[in-house]
This record gives sequence, structure tokens and C-alpha cells, in this order.
Amino acid sequence: MTKSNIALLVLLAVVASLPLFGGAYALRLGTIACMYAIMALSWNVVGGFAGYPSFATAAFFGFGAYTAGVLLNKGLPLWLCVVIAAVTALLIAAVLGAALLRLRGHYFAIASLSLVEVLRELVNNATDLTGGGMGLNIPLGSGSGVLAEAMFFFYAMWILLLLTVLMVMAVAGSKLGFGLACIRQNETASSMVGLNTTLYKSIAFGLSACFVSAAGGVYAAWVHYIDPSDVFDILYSVKPIVMALMGGLGSPLGVACGAFLYLGLEEVVWRNYIQIHTGVLGLIIVLLLLFLPHGLISLRPANLWRRVKHV
Amino acid sequence: MIFMFQSLAAMEKYSMNKSRVARYARLAAPLWAAAVLCGAQTSNASAEDVIRFGAPLPITGPLAPEAIKQQQGYDLWAEEANKAGGISVGGKKYKVEIVYADYQSNTPRAVQATEQMISQDNVNFMFGAFGSGAAKAASTVSEKYKVPTLAATASSVQVYDQGYKYLFGTFTPNDTLTTPLTQIIKAKVPEVKKVAILARNDLFPLAIAQEMEKSAKANGFDLVYFEKYAIGTLDHSATLSQIKSLAPQWIFVTGYINDLLLIRKQMVDQEMKAPIVTMIAGPAYQEFIESGGKTAENITSASWWHPAERYEGKDIFGSTENFVKLFKAKYKSEPDYGQASAALCGALFQMAIEKAGSLDRDKVRDELAKLDVVTFFGPVRFGANGQINSLDPPVFQIQGAKPVVLFPEAIKQGDLKVGVN
Repeated sequence: MTKSNIALLVLLAVVASLPLFGGAYALRLGTIACMYAIMALSWNVVGGFAGYPSFATAAFFGFGAYTAGVLLNKGLPLWLCVVIAAVTALLIAAVLGAALLRLRGHYFAIASLSLVEVLRELVNNATDLTGGGMGLNIPLGSGSGVLAEAMFFFYAMWILLLLTVLMVMAVAGSKLGFGLACIRQNETASSMVGLNTTLYKSIAFGLSACFVSAAGGVYAAWVHYIDPSDVFDILYSVKPIVMALMGGLGSPLGVACGAFLYLGLEEVVWRNYIQIHTGVLGLIIVLLLLFLPHGLISLRPANLWRRVKHV
Repeated sequence: MIFMFQSLAAMEKYSMNKSRVARYARLAAPLWAAAVLCGAQTSNASAEDVIRFGAPLPITGPLAPEAIKQQQGYDLWAEEANKAGGISVGGKKYKVEIVYADYQSNTPRAVQATEQMISQDNVNFMFGAFGSGAAKAASTVSEKYKVPTLAATASSVQVYDQGYKYLFGTFTPNDTLTTPLTQIIKAKVPEVKKVAILARNDLFPLAIAQEMEKSAKANGFDLVYFEKYAIGTLDHSATLSQIKSLAPQWIFVTGYINDLLLIRKQMVDQEMKAPIVTMIAGPAYQEFIESGGKTAENITSASWWHPAERYEGKDIFGSTENFVKLFKAKYKSEPDYGQASAALCGALFQMAIEKAGSLDRDKVRDELAKLDVVTFFGPVRFGANGQINSLDPPVFQIQGAKPVVLFPEAIKQGDLKVGVN
């Protein structure tokens, strides 16, 4: 196991200790932090390892939220709903991936973006099943108190994050990860030397979908009310990419740090600039990317100084 | 953030040559510190003699114009209440303070903002988020914390179908808008047979369109068209030409003000004419009449309140006339139902708190549930589900660039005119 993987696990353990320090609101932020990290790490599998700029994160997040939401309304237990959401997303993404991933570069980006729109419209128009634009109610759990519930969803999301991290580490250290790196560097050449690129890419796409979908399922149970424009929000596709860029493309530790940093920035800016927070956040992100083009992971004092002088 | 960078710099001095692990640890520690700081940062303890009300609003994003209206209503109430010395609780006067947060027209953010206000800003009571969808989502949080919440702009019964105890709303159910409208048109314009409905696929607009469908069928109209358009649709020409080919006598469109102005303009482009065109919920706003100009003429609509109403209230504003006067003095414009409902929510909280004689959330909640008073907005009484059930919402029509009330009889200002060109 590499040092960066150990550091990532330590970081996760630190996150798990959050309930010792904060109340319900800190737990809400912690839950969102875990959710963002799941999205960013999942995106990293297809975007960072294989170099395919996927905008489909929101599609699978919404898919998971609605799958779990509908099943929860049918009275299934939460864990089962989340498992079903994850497995169906894995299969659907792998099958779709086999078709979509034949496109490259910008073409793939646009195709994956349209996946969000297609799923959103499907949910919007299946009014009988999903409530359409009126949204979907998810029954409140037992009245276990504010803190207990916040704790429950925080750890549910944290466990998903842990599984995502383990999946990403396993992929990075395996033949699959090597294959994906080859695809990123030169897909034609990898195919020439006998790598089944379609299979590898499909698996990567499936893996990048299944944990996002599971996170969507937990999210739906957590907020109790979802509607299509919220869970199929295109920002859920864009944010993971920004986080991965901020943290350091391809490095799981960097991506996870990027997700936490992004949430921290978003929260601080949102609190302090009631009217112009979006502008301030954008500016900070641009500055960060300008000074740290390789993300947080490239943060070394010497480098930093050189870069400042360079700019 | 400054703290974060400082600590980064400080730590770097000490560990220039440490291993990679140290470097990563150094990276993670300040991030963590920042996260904990954000979460644990407690707001200033609320001052002794202030009552804090939380108001999450969509200050940025597509719903921003609605947020301004709500804010005007809340601010007007807070100003009036403070001018009178504040809210008296058990003989002591408390000043009103309203805490705003922007949820960016994004429902999950509204939920987050609500929790932030309750757990961090220590607000005593909450106003609901804008519109039915966000109000419903955010109400799950205030319900968990048992904070009484007054939703100023949530009308769909689906918002109140969750059995919540702490959520109250000042808009009557959607069918109270569509039923009188349908009956007026049935009585006054018997030649209207075919109805076409076009609805924005969103909680309130779709719910009211479904109510309209029910009212139309119940009154023997022939529903020839019922479609939804997606949120953010800019080109309605295909749907409109389809409607035109069906030649309905009554076109019923739902959405928010920007959607409705756009659709109206594209109807004019296609030279669509019909005896009756109804739009909900834009025409009640002065902006609709101004932007629509001639094309707004004879459009019918219904809303929950109208400045032409004449109620003698027992709330801080007293009569409807007085409310309109105060509003005009402060904002130099005519109030509409959004602003009035927001101000009403404040006034209702004030009455409930004064009656309870305490800031105890449960006591105030019980007083809200028991309220049965006349206000400048009309009589207020909440049903068992928390939604108001005592109002007769007015039906009106734009005539000569002015909204003219057609119903209820008590405040009627004119008769229905047929023909929208």
C-alpha cells in the first residue's frame, strides 16, 4: 500500500471522528463532505484514471435518489434500497458505457451530459411513479431525535465513502487501473497490444456510477423530499470535476482533499457574502487553479514560490 | 480561510524535509481544522431582548424576484413591529430581528440554510422557504427541531400532507383558486366548451393545473389539451401551435412570472386568440401588467389577496387600506399577494407570541394552531393540517392596465370581459 493511500485512510478516520467535535449542523456539513468526496472519487475513476471527461455524475446521483426514493415508499428497508440503487446503476452504466465510451473527448463529454437530461425528462414525465415536477415525498424515519438521525446519515454516507475509497484503491493498484492509465495515454496503442479497451472503460464507467447512485439513495432518505431539478442538477456533474482539479487529477488523496476544500470554501463564502457568493467562489477557484494547476497534491513550498514568481 | 493558509505556511516551516506522509498529513490537517471551524463556529448568543426570525430566501438564481417581494413583506412587518416598541411577551418588549440567508434558488440549499439558522444562528422561529417545493423540503428540518414555521407562499396541499405539527401556511389550497374561476366562466360565457391547459412541470404550477383539470371536468368542460413544459423552457412555439390547431376557447397556463410573459409573447407572435386566457400566478404582479402592456389586457387570473380587499383586521397593520398605505410609503409601489402574505406571516407570529406570553416554541405553536382572527389579509384560521382554510381568494382580470376584481361579490369591481387578442 502506498503512502498516499495510508494518508487517505488516516484522513477518513479523522473525518469519522467529527461527531466528537460538532453538533447537528457540523454533521450535516460532514455528510455533504462525504457525499462530495464520493462523487469526486467516483468521477476520478473514469475522468482521472481513464481520462474520459464524464458529465454523467448528476445522472447517476439522481437515478440513485429516485430508485431509493420510490423503493422506500414501497416500504423496503433503507440498506436494501441503497444496494439496489448501486447495483442497478452499475449494470446500467456498464451497458450504457459500452455504447457511450466509443465516443472520445468532447463528443463523450456532450453524450454523458445528455444522459442527465434524458433521465431527468424520464423522471419528470413518469408522474404516476415519481410525482414528476411535483417531487417525491420520502417517509420520515422513526422519531429518533435530531442528533441521532444526523449521526445515522453521517455514518451511512461515511461508510459509502470508505467503500468508494477502497474501490478506488483496488482499481488503482490492479491490472484494471494499469489498463485505464494505458487508455488515458494512448487508447489506440493499448488496443493494438491486446487490451480490451471497451471492457475496461465500461467497468470503469460502471464503478464510477454505482457509489454515486448509492450516495443519491442515502441523500434521498436524508432530505425526505426530492424533485427532478434538485437531484438531476447539472452542478452535481460539474462540482466533482472542479474538486478533482483542485485536489490533483488522478490522485485519490488529492481528490478527497479537493472535495473537502471545495466544501469548506463554498460554506465560508456562502455564509459571508450573501449577495455575491457565487462570484467570490468562482474567483477563488480560478485563482487556486491558476496558482496550483496540478492541485493541492502539488503543494510544495519551493514549487509554490517558483510559481508565484512565474506568474 | 486566512487561518488555513497561515497554518499551512507555519507548518511548512517546520517540516520542509519530512517524508511524503508528513506532507500529506500537513495537507489534511488544516483542511480538517477549517471544516471543524465552519461547523462548530457558534454564532453570537442572541441578545436578551430580541426575537430572531429565520428567513431562507432565493436571493440569487431564477427565483430572485420572488425573494425580493418576500423580503419587502418581512421587512415592512419588522419595521412596524419595532416602531411600536417590539413584541410584548409577558409585559416585556422584544425587538424583532430577521435573519436572512440565500439558498440560491436551490432546494437542498434551502434545507441546509434552515438547519444552519436553527442550530447556528439560534433563531426562535422560522419563515418558510419560497414556493411549495422548497417550503416542503425545508419543513422537514424545522419539524425535526420542533420550530414553528409559517410558510408565506406554499399553497399546494401536498406541502401539508406529511402530518407535520409545526408547519403553517397562509395560502389556501389550489382548488380555491380554480373552482370560482371555472364557475364564473361557466355562468358568464356559456359558449366556452374546449379548454387547453399548459403547465410548468414544477410543484405549484403542476398541482394547480391538475386542480384546474378537475374543476373543468366537474363543470362539464371539454379538456382538449393538457401538457407540461420543463422548467427553464424558452421556446414554446411548438406546444403553442399545437394548442392553436385545437382551437380551444379557454387557454389556461401556469408558471411563474417570467414563464408567463414569455408564453404570452409567443402566443401573440402566433396570433393566437381565445375568448378566455387565464394565467396563474403572474398577472397579479404589477410587473406583469407593465411588461405585458397591451397583450396583458383581459387576461384572467386568481390570487390569494388583492389590495382592493377591505378587511378590518386585529393585527398590527389593522385594515387592508392601512397596509397598502404603509407599503406604498415604504416601497413606492402597489403591494401584491406575495408581499402581503410575507407581512401577514410576521403579524401572525406577533399575535401568537403575544397570546402565548412566552417564547416557548411549543406554546407559540399551540397559539398559532388556535388562531381565529380577522387580519388585513382576511380571516385567518388554520386547518388540522396547518394550511389556512378561512379565505376566499379573489378572481380578477386585467382591464385597462389594472387588475379588476370579479369575485368575491363583496369586493367586486367589474364584470368579466371576453376576448384576448
